[in-house]
Amino acid sequence: MAERDEGKVADGVGKNEEPESRPERGAGVGGNNGLIVLKDVTKRFAEQVVLDGLSLAIEKGKTTVVIGPSGCGKTVLLKHMILLHRPNGGEIYFKGQRIDDVDDEALNKVRAHFGYLFQEGALFDSLSVAENVMFPVRQHCRITKWSEVEELVKQKLTMVGLNGFQDFYPANLSGGQRKRVALARAIAMGPEVILYDEPTTGLDPIRADIINELILKLEGELGVTSVAVTHDMKSAYKIADRIVMLHHGKIIADGDAEHIRNHPNTIVQQFIKGEVSKKDLEQLRSASAGNSVHHSSEG
Amino acid sequence: MIGVLGSNTVMGVYNAGQFGRFAWRSMAASARSIGMRETYPLIWTQMWIIGVRSVPVMLITGAFVGMTLAYGSYDQLAGMGLEEHLGVLINVSVVKELGPVLAAVMLAGRVGGALTAELGTMKVTEQIDAIESMGTDPVRYIVAPRLLACLLLTPALIVYADLLGIWGGWYMSVVELEINAGAYWSFSAFGIEMWDVVCGLIKGLFFAGAIAVISCYKGFHCREGAHGVGQACTEAFVASFISILMIDFALVVIFKAIYSTFWPVQSLLG
Ligand SMILES: Nc1ncnc2c1ncn2[C@@H]1O[C@H](COP(=O)(O)OP(=O)(O)OP(=O)(O)O)[C@@H](O)[C@H]1O
Ligand SMILES: [Mg+2]
Repeated sequence: MAERDEGKVADGVGKNEEPESRPERGAGVGGNNGLIVLKDVTKRFAEQVVLDGLSLAIEKGKTTVVIGPSGCGKTVLLKHMILLHRPNGGEIYFKGQRIDDVDDEALNKVRAHFGYLFQEGALFDSLSVAENVMFPVRQHCRITKWSEVEELVKQKLTMVGLNGFQDFYPANLSGGQRKRVALARAIAMGPEVILYDEPTTGLDPIRADIINELILKLEGELGVTSVAVTHDMKSAYKIADRIVMLHHGKIIADGDAEHIRNHPNTIVQQFIKGEVSKKDLEQLRSASAGNSVHHSSEG
Repeated sequence: MIGVLGSNTVMGVYNAGQFGRFAWRSMAASARSIGMRETYPLIWTQMWIIGVRSVPVMLITGAFVGMTLAYGSYDQLAGMGLEEHLGVLINVSVVKELGPVLAAVMLAGRVGGALTAELGTMKVTEQIDAIESMGTDPVRYIVAPRLLACLLLTPALIVYADLLGIWGGWYMSVVELEINAGAYWSFSAFGIEMWDVVCGLIKGLFFAGAIAVISCYKGFHCREGAHGVGQACTEAFVASFISILMIDFALVVIFKAIYSTFWPVQSLLG
């Protein structure tokens, strides 16, 4: 295998700024030298505002976990980091270079530094598991020895506990297995940055913990920068150097696990403890009562 | 009311612009990938899917068109005592018009539908996003091989349709309606030129390009869900069908201007 195609991204220009208006800053997570920097990013779908002037700097070599209720825009946020969504306003930087206004070719060079685990896997269903995992390698490297590629595929599949499934097709795998193949594909190129969209959802607790260990291992041994979106607080506490909570398109909590655990905001507390608020509970009860009345009047 | 009209116009112009950009990108990517070895297997796979499996359909279409033309026109020509000219009528119609157009319509249904459904599903299941996330241009990886395969194969498929059309015409005229075979062929040879065949094949190239680009575009811009994919397929077929007829008309005018040849059918009938 030949060398990876190096992107023309200037390192450490340090163009990123720490937004002054950030109220949250957890203890022990220092440095304003973000590898990925989002500045005042706004994203709307039609009338719906999903990201509302959000600013976030992802530190190099750290694992940042994004938490937040379902539908609050975590996936949308993650997709902005590799420009799968384009912001309606604001700026996005990678290694100090602005990437939200560059052309497709430059963007593809930047993207080659990333691995992205899709929430639903997004495996190519016309390709086998092995072909899926080697896809990024085939796209970016000139392959000279197939045995090396096969060895790489085997190694990555072993990491996610799926060695031996090389010739399966995605249709013949379970949901959790697909997710793990997708993870193997995301890490196949040995990317500098890995963006995980709910890496442990849909896995059994033991497998989920193995994935947590894998994320930690990638960070510890290879210095990979990770951003993980998750609902799974156990996983979040385990892997996170820093946790940010997204709510109504803004970051309402930002800090290490300890900071989040003791956060004064009730929304944060309810989320991390998995408690439904009194208001929501009342709404739910009255809604179901209303339904039954409606039903009986019909029948 | 005016507001709705206005916004529809704006959307129409926007969509046309988007389609134009997509078509341009697809053609540029295809042109570039001709020089790249690693796309050959992709093109080959698509050729297999698009081409080889379409042959039976093409053969059947061609044969029936030829036979129908012969049977339908016989009475009119025989009334004027011109039944021996049947070969010119059939073969010119088949080679210049019906072969390419019907072959293209069949392709739009068979291949265009499959392309849109495939790409639409890839879009909905984020596979296209996945390709992009790995730093690969989805237009180059997905659209270019399909466009090239369509361009390479459609002329070949048209030749098949033409051959079977000619066979069908011959079978009906000579075998069933008992026209003198020698006269049939000599009139045919007199009426058809290499130019007609070339026109048919060039048309085929344009049709193929239109079908591939439209179908891929609709797949790429398909809305979420099974309903979205179904709708995209329908829209792709309708759009392909209309553009086939419009391109056909435009090319007829252009070809006629290029080579102002007489129109044997008109001279025969009129
Ligand atoms: N392509 C799109 N078009 C229109 N709206 C979208 C699109 N993608 C996301 N949205 C909207 O953006 C909001 C946030 O979606 P997102 O997928 O980021 O949620 P999420 O936080 O990842 O939720 P979950 O935890 O359930 O995955 C949703 O309300 C959704 O309706
Ligand atoms: Mg999500």
